[in-house]
Formats: sequence, structure tokens, C-alpha cells
Amino acid sequence: MIPSAHGIPREEKIISTRNLKFTYEGGVQALQGLNLDIRSGDYVAIVGGNGSGKTTLAKALNGLLKPTSGTVMVNGMPTSELKVAEIAKVVGYAFQNPDHQLFCSSVEDEVRFGPLNLGYPEQEVRQKVERAIEAMNLGQLRALAPLSLRLGERRRVSIASVIAMDPQVLILDEPTTGLDAGESLELMNSLKRLNAEGKTIILITHDMKVVAEHARRVIVMANGRMILDSDSRGVFSDLAILGESNLEPPPVVRLAHRLAKHGIPHDVMSVEELVFQLLRSRGGG
Amino acid sequence: MSAQGSNWGNSGAAGKPANYVSPKIVAVYGVLTALTAAITYASYTPFSPTKGYFNLGDSMVFFSALAFGWRAGAICGGIGSAAADILLGSGIYAPITLVAKGAEGLVAGVIGRMKGGKAWAVALGIGAGGACMITTYFLGEWLLLDVGLGKAIAEIPINIAQVVLGGTIGALLSYYVKKSYPSLTKT
Amino acid sequence: MGGFIDLYTEADTFLHRMDPRVKIVAVLLLSLLAFILSHLYLLLALLTFIFLLLFLARATISRTAFALKFVLRFMVLIIILWPIFDPTGTPVLASLGPIKITEPAVWRGVTSAARVGCLATVWYILMFTTSQRDLVRALVKMGVRFDFGLTLAISLRFLPTFGALIDSIKDAQRARGLELSKGGLLKRSKNYVAVLVPTIVSALRTADTLSLALQSRAYGARADRTYLRDLNMRPSDYVALAVLAAILVLPAFAKFVMQVDI
Ligand SMILES: Nc1ncnc2c1ncn2[C@@H]1O[C@H](COP(=O)(O)OP(=O)(O)OP(=O)(O)O)[C@@H](O)[C@H]1O
Ligand SMILES: [Mg+2]
Repeated sequence: MIPSAHGIPREEKIISTRNLKFTYEGGVQALQGLNLDIRSGDYVAIVGGNGSGKTTLAKALNGLLKPTSGTVMVNGMPTSELKVAEIAKVVGYAFQNPDHQLFCSSVEDEVRFGPLNLGYPEQEVRQKVERAIEAMNLGQLRALAPLSLRLGERRRVSIASVIAMDPQVLILDEPTTGLDAGESLELMNSLKRLNAEGKTIILITHDMKVVAEHARRVIVMANGRMILDSDSRGVFSDLAILGESNLEPPPVVRLAHRLAKHGIPHDVMSVEELVFQLLRSRGGG
Repeated sequence: MSAQGSNWGNSGAAGKPANYVSPKIVAVYGVLTALTAAITYASYTPFSPTKGYFNLGDSMVFFSALAFGWRAGAICGGIGSAAADILLGSGIYAPITLVAKGAEGLVAGVIGRMKGGKAWAVALGIGAGGACMITTYFLGEWLLLDVGLGKAIAEIPINIAQVVLGGTIGALLSYYVKKSYPSLTKT
Repeated sequence: MGGFIDLYTEADTFLHRMDPRVKIVAVLLLSLLAFILSHLYLLLALLTFIFLLLFLARATISRTAFALKFVLRFMVLIIILWPIFDPTGTPVLASLGPIKITEPAVWRGVTSAARVGCLATVWYILMFTTSQRDLVRALVKMGVRFDFGLTLAISLRFLPTFGALIDSIKDAQRARGLELSKGGLLKRSKNYVAVLVPTIVSALRTADTLSLALQSRAYGARADRTYLRDLNMRPSDYVALAVLAAILVLPAFAKFVMQVDI
């Protein structure tokens, strides 16, 4: 049984899967019966060890992979009956490796490619492109060749090229790998702004620090199953489950757990909270 | 191509430093060969049984020839395309393909890079290379495999389409990659 | 697309153990034999022999089916098209305007199809039973230059990698609304550029890294480099070679010297 989520507002479901299973041609059962609802405005992190099925799940959610059995519904329609290009208007997916998406000779052309494929009228394309370029702070790079940029910039271009299709849901596959702390922070702040403007964000990551600081809901995957679906505080109070999926909580969380017998609560997630709790426990004792 | 080093012809003597081509060439040629095979394989589109099939392998033959020269065109185009034949289950074609696509890459590389690769040279190179390929397939199928004139003729229109589309794409790719990533096309 | 089918299957049959050089020679000899034989029943016997070898190599049904799908289509095409373009001989079975279908032409088509069947399947004996590494080593041992062999080894090594890369890039572009299997040849080819550019750039970056790796491992320092595992002909390999030579030489002798019609 999956512990149920606490405190997530019941909003309109954009994506919902029922008993979703996926088996690759070689016989690897990458997803083994997933029941998952994504509601409008969610900020969900999907975490799990290597090969736990995160990327497979992301591809199933935007129709690149059709379920072997079970269903994935996007806005009430099963993905098995929709074309990827149709689903792309609702569920955008920025790939793990940005170099797999970039091919145009300028950043601007690159960002235009998606909305043009979806057949939006010229006026609308221009608007969406401008918004995406602004959201990912690419104004100064717009005329440069995408593949000649640094990794962090290439990642922003690839995300902008998905945002430009104006999907309701944005799936990002490990967007912070290979970025330095500054780039990573800048990217996460951009995502936070997008979420505040109403975009639903699904963030696939290994980085538990990012999860602790940004996501409101966390899904932990192991061996093709969801072993936990909870608000992010709930995840960090259960170190056993993280250990089961080879995930290491951020140092501050581990420290808080070590200090548990001194009265520090299990659900501390940031340095500020720990300091607060320490001061309080000293003041109290 | 000026820094090509030695060519494939002569072998080093035992004990002395070997007279091999540079590691950069080994790496680039190996990768281009694999790429040619992989793209031929991935873009393979079968039609109805009588119309045969179509693929974009020629774009890689022309790309290798125009961006890296006739040696790359001949070696990577020939071997890569022959390897794709084996992978696609048509290994019987492999020897003819080796010659046909090898010749295509060689000729396109020699003519297409004349005068620093002016547009007319590129077009001429693709045309001449394509003609070599089509002729080799026709003669090979008709005379060597002895599949009958009918089958050999049936292939020609598809091969022409492949040269036209593959040539255009190959030329564009080579122009674009040479311009945008000059460091990648230096050997 | 589902990635590449690596034809090699690990197993412990006499064909797997055979020296890869002998297998290369075997494929060449059997191919030559297919050209020497001109009677349908002999070609069918050769085809049966080749399938017997595939069976002994424990080729799985699915792999054999993959191999056969193309060959069969090819043979059917030859049988259909041959008589249409070859109006010689009698009796005439059917005629439609300028096209005449004659009985000898039909048989010539079937014979050619059988020969092509032999040529197309004999490959698989080698491909099913020899790893890529052994194949390259055999070629180098047979006199192919080492740097050429290395280039070949690199390309075989990267083939599945690039296959997976292309699949992933196709997915990445489909997620941006690109439809690769829609439209005519022209549109499809144009759409394919969105796949080709990232593929080529990624691959050439790989080549860059690879050339540094080769340099740092003293590639080309000595021409007489040593191998960890060498190829050695065993007595059974010589026996196999002798049998193969006999299979080719006897019919060739009968046909060209004794003038026997085979
Ligand atoms: N194209 C494929 N063909 C066959 N098996 C695959 C394929 N892609 C992934 N798998 C397998 O499916 C399982 C799940 O893979 P997936 O890529 O979804 O994991 P992941 O959680 O994204 O891992 P990572 O953190 O490494 O990105 C793994 O066992 C993997 O080997
Ligand atoms: Mg992944």
C-alpha cells in the first residue's frame, strides 16, 4: 500500500494513471502497476535510484510510450488513442540530455520549432516564443547556435523549447545534473515562478536537496513501483524508505535524525528550520 | 584534410613506432562508419513489397565525403552501408553495397570538395557520385547476383530518389556542421 | 524501432568454437559454390545444407525468422519479375501484349531465387556464431592493417550506442510535436533533419573524446603490438577447412575440367 498524501488540495486531475504497466521489448518490466494522479498546479518531485523507472514513467505520461496494460489519461483522454503531437500540447517533456533536442542554428529558431509543429498561428507562436525566452532568461543568447552554448545554457534552451509549446504540465528529467550550484539555483527559481503562474511541474531528480527545498509532493520509485507518495515533509521523516531506493537525504536532514533523541523533530528540511529547532530545544532545556 | 598524416596503404615495421594514421582519424572514421550504418538502419522505411524500401543512408555517405573528404566518404560510406545491409537482413547486398556506396562517397568527396567546395562542385559531386552508385547497383544486381533485368530496373527510381534527397540533406548537414562546429570537422 | 538486433548469440556449438578465419573462408567458399552450381536441385541441396548449419549453430527461431523475412521477400520478387523480362524459350505459358511468360524462364527465375537464397543465408552462419571482437581479430590476423581493424572495432562498438541514441533523439523530437512517419518522402526526409543534426553532433563529440582516449593509451606506439588472447587454429579447424575446400573443389573440378553439367 502506498501511504496517501497529506494536505494536497484536491484539484482538477490533469493526468491520471490506473494500474499502469510498461514492459520494454527486451522483457524489462520498467513499470509495474502505477496509480497516480497529477492535479493542476502540483509541484511533484519523482525520485528513485538508477533504473527505477522514472524516465519510463515520464515517457508514458506524455505518450511517447503507450502502456503495455492499464491506462494513462490526459485531461480525460487515454494516451493510447492520442498522437504524441496532440499530447505535447498538454504535457511537455524536457529530455534528460538537452543535446538530444537541439538542432537549429539559433536559440530563437530552436524555441520556435515546437509551437510551429503544433500548428499555432504565427502571431501566437511569436508570443509563446517570447514568453518562453523570457521565462528561461535567454534574451541575450537568442541569436547564438544552441549546441555551441555551455551545458547550463543548453539545458535552459531545451526547457524553453518545451515551455514554448505552452503545455499545462511540464516534465523535467534531471534538469540539474551537470549544472553548478548557481546555475542550478537560477533554474529552480525559474521553475518556481512558472509554478506560481499556474504551470504544473513534475521534476525527476536525484538531488534530494532540490526536493527538500522546492517540491510540495514527492513520489519515490523503486523497481518500477511507487513506494511512497507523500508531501515532501513526509518523505524526509522516513529514512528507511529513502534507504530502500538508494537515495541519500540532504546532510541537514540526516543531522536532524541523529539529533532526534535530543528532541529535534523528524521533519526538519532546511538549515533554518534546524537552527530554529536547536535554539528552541536549548532554550527549553 | 591536409593534416591527414599517412594513408591507409603502408604498414609499420615490427619494433619501430608504427606508421599508423592519427588517432583522431581512427576515431572519426570509426564513428562515421557506425553512424552511417545506424542512420541507414533507423531511417529504413519499407514500402509495398514490389516498390522495395527507402532510407537516408546516402545523406551520411555524402556528409562524410563533403565534410571529411573522399577517404572518409569511401571508407565510412562503403563499410557503414554494407554493415547496415547485414543488420537489415539483406547481407546478400553487402558486397555490392560496399563498392556502390564506397564509389559514391569517393567520387562525391573528390569532385564535391573541388575549389573549396563551391555549390556547383557539391552538386556535381553528388550527381556524379550518385550515378556511380546507381550504375553499380544496377550492374551488380543484373550481372553478378543474376536477379534478372526486371528486379534490377525496379531499383533504379528508388535509388534516384535516395540520391536526390540524401544528397540535399548531406550537403546541408555538411555545410551546417562545418560552419557551426568547425572544431568537430577538423581531422 | 526497438534498438538493434545483435545477431551474435552466445552458445557452445562446434561452429561457435571454430576459428573465425575458417568461418570467413567457409562463407566465401560456399558463396562461390552457389555460383558454380546451376541446377535447381543442387542449389536446393546447398540451401538445405546451409540451414542445417544454422540449425546446428542453435540459431533461435526468432533470429532465423528475422533473417528469412527479407530473403523470402527477395526470392518471391525474383520469381515474379524474372519471367516478365525474359521471354526466351518455349512453351509459352501465357502472353499479354508484348509480355510472354515461358516455362524455361519461370524455371530460370526459380533457380536464380534459390541461388540468391543461398547467398543471403550463408552469412548468418558467420554472424550468428562469431562475436564482433573475434571477427575484427580474425581480419587483422588475415592481414588487414591494425589501424583499419581498430577503426572497424570502434564502429562495431558504437553501432548499438548510436542506435539507442537515434531512438532517444527521435523520442525527444516527437515530444516537440515532430511527426516522423507522416507525409511523403520529401516531408519525411525534411523532418528527419531534426534527428540527424543532434545525432551527428553527439557522435562527433564522442569521436573527439575517443581520439584523446586512444592517444592516452599509447595507440600506435609499436607495430608489433601483442594481444591478450590470440587466435589459434586447432586440429579440428584444419579438418573443417579441408572439408570445405573439398566441397568447393570437387564440384568446380567436375564442372570446369570434367565438363559435367551440374
Ligand atoms: N529502451 C529500453 N529498452 C529496454 N530496457 C530499457 C530501455 N530503457 C530503459 N530500460 C530499462 O528499464 C528500467 C527503467 O529505466 P528508466 O530509464 O526508466 O530508469 P530511470 O529511473 O530513469 O534511471 P536513471 O536514474 O538512470 O535515469 C531499467 O532497468 C532500464 O534498464
Ligand atoms: Mg532516467
